[in-house]
Amino acid sequence: MNPKLKKAITISSIVLVSIGLLVFLYISAGQQTFIRTTLSGLTLGSLFFLVAGGLTLIFGLMDVLNFAHGSMFMLGAYIGWQFYTNPTFIFGLLPQILAFASGVMVTPIIKPYLIRWQLSDKWVKVLPKIGYLLGLITFVLSVLGLDILGLAKTAMVAATTATIGNPLAELSAQEPLAMYWFRPLLIFISGLFIAFSTSKPGNKTEFAPKENFLSKLLIPVILFLLAIVATLIRESAPEAILLMNGNWRFMISLLVSIVFGFAFGAVIEITLIRPLYIRPTFIIIMTLGLSYVIRELVQLLWDPLAYQMVRPPLFAQSGKAANLLEWLQNGNTTIDIVGVTIPTYRLFVILLGIVMFIFITILMTKTRLGMIIRAGVQDPQMVEALGINVKAIFTIVFGLGVAMAALGGIGAGPFLPIQPLMGDHYQTQGLITVVIGGMGSYVGAFVGALILGLARAFGDYFALKYSLSTAVAEASTVIIMVIVLLARPQGLFGKKE
Amino acid sequence: MKELNPQPDLLIVDNIQTFIGQFHILEGVSVRVPKGSITVMLGRNGAGKTTTIKSILGLTPPREGKVVFDGLEIQGKRAFNIANLGIGYVPEHRAIFRSLTVLENLKIAERRKGDFDRNSEFIFNLFPDLKRLSRLPGNHLSGGQQQMLAVARALVPDNKLLLIDEPSEGLAPILIQQMMDAIKVLSEKTTILLVEQNFIMASQLAERYIIIDDGKSVKSGLMMELVHDEALVHHYLGASIKTPQELEKKHEPQA
Repeated sequence: MNPKLKKAITISSIVLVSIGLLVFLYISAGQQTFIRTTLSGLTLGSLFFLVAGGLTLIFGLMDVLNFAHGSMFMLGAYIGWQFYTNPTFIFGLLPQILAFASGVMVTPIIKPYLIRWQLSDKWVKVLPKIGYLLGLITFVLSVLGLDILGLAKTAMVAATTATIGNPLAELSAQEPLAMYWFRPLLIFISGLFIAFSTSKPGNKTEFAPKENFLSKLLIPVILFLLAIVATLIRESAPEAILLMNGNWRFMISLLVSIVFGFAFGAVIEITLIRPLYIRPTFIIIMTLGLSYVIRELVQLLWDPLAYQMVRPPLFAQSGKAANLLEWLQNGNTTIDIVGVTIPTYRLFVILLGIVMFIFITILMTKTRLGMIIRAGVQDPQMVEALGINVKAIFTIVFGLGVAMAALGGIGAGPFLPIQPLMGDHYQTQGLITVVIGGMGSYVGAFVGALILGLARAFGDYFALKYSLSTAVAEASTVIIMVIVLLARPQGLFGKKE
Repeated sequence: MKELNPQPDLLIVDNIQTFIGQFHILEGVSVRVPKGSITVMLGRNGAGKTTTIKSILGLTPPREGKVVFDGLEIQGKRAFNIANLGIGYVPEHRAIFRSLTVLENLKIAERRKGDFDRNSEFIFNLFPDLKRLSRLPGNHLSGGQQQMLAVARALVPDNKLLLIDEPSEGLAPILIQQMMDAIKVLSEKTTILLVEQNFIMASQLAERYIIIDDGKSVKSGLMMELVHDEALVHHYLGASIKTPQELEKKHEPQA
């Protein structure tokens, strides 16, 4: 049979079956329940997509299954919540992070000179190790006595006791400036040592052009200036942010989570995953281990408690809005949609998923980066042979995937309890989504997430209606996966191997 | 290799040894490619021609030996760095990106913004078919069109050297002729190192040859001399020499 015809028949039969299924559900559940269940299914689906989209991009390009994705989702939620509730923690650490990054970013400037050094093989091996060791020592010295736990406590206290009217009551004092200066300075030096080591003195494996000196200098200098600014504002900035309109604060905390996720993902890829590409099974074990490390660190910083994030004002006013306009004016918690009461925050989560899907689609189809990613999925070696640094692309894609998960985490923050295990469920469902949609296909991840979200929601509804165990709903997603795999082993949108 | 070259060598491969996993694939290959010429690498299947190309590019880095391109030692450098010095690569089996359109397949090869716009006229004059197909995804092209696209992709940036691996493989005779004409035109612009099983094609195109046998370069010189040395050709290339009649037969079903 003509493959095009076959494909058309498969797609149209899938569409028909799903429409039939929806009609059946509509009739059996009734209009009100149907709308309510569908919307809560879409909310879940949106979160599943935010997790699965990153997973599938990362898997498609570099064949890495990131088992720490759920932990990164959780970490994104904590960072965003921290910023929203009391940003003292983040602003307390920002000068150090910026100073360290500024030190490390010196690498491209010194690399062209260092790799040309004439060194014996022995020194080529030993020098970077000495550099890393010195970097580590200065790093430890600079954080010695820094009360990180104390900084983390500020948000815990704020979350458990703060009266919404006066978030400033919980602002805590930090070290005096005169004592504080030495930290960013020392950690900048630590970054310089790391930069020295990563520029591979005497190791002539790369061509590093000496030109564009000024443009390379720009980044570290800007970061250094930002570090100075961050040191100066580390007490006043949290205050200013807490005085800000809660909606804006929430939007900024979404951004903070994205930026954090990208940076965190990029650092993890460069330091932990990159050495292991030749041993794929090790990557699975490593990411699995990483997820435990992240979880324990979070428990150390914020105690093994579950926090309830205060909703931004747009979703906080009790009472039901009659229409969209009224909601946007008053900021009600619920809204009336064709006679059904829907929590407004859910609509926001659905919007978040759709916006991210559009963003990814534009990125993949319209930009040069997307073009390179699509080509790299098929043949990374050929992409490299065209003169493109594929390693750098891997880092960017890993960062993007983690950023999406982190955004999902903070997006889920206002309606899920924030606790160290919050990401695990989403990771499992995300993996199932990726399998259903087809490994490596972001469209597949989107469709798979919708199917799974709806299946969960309707599964819950029927479990309740016929007083079955809620395990039925959880099993439904796995059953769907089994059916899809039997019919199409490569997933709905996967390419045949 | 003591002959005097009128042109300086653009590429010098000096006694490289390459391992793939445990296997010692190249046990001493030396290649010299003078500037502005077509040099062809000949040899049986599995002799190590493709591995030589990949070793030059750094895709399978040589463990020992030297590779000098344009006066720079490039062995042990990373592949993208080497390619950016101005080497274009047309791999065996084409390696067209299936999910990218023809236009995207060309644009991805840009090293600087505007590379494609600058050279698109030249490329589309050489392969007029591609202009017509530019919106089609790569997996919709026929073998011959894919081969043209693979060559065209290497022409987007201004490369000093083109490494072309088996451009006639699996093509119908009429397309082979077209490809030969295209490569002749290209040789006026850049230097070319060609891998070719088709001796007829190789002998008509190249000025110089290198014979690779069992992972070693065994003979090199001017093509003019090789075509008259039937004993040598038969000894090293044996089965891989094809007469035009044999070619017609082999490719008829695919035409």
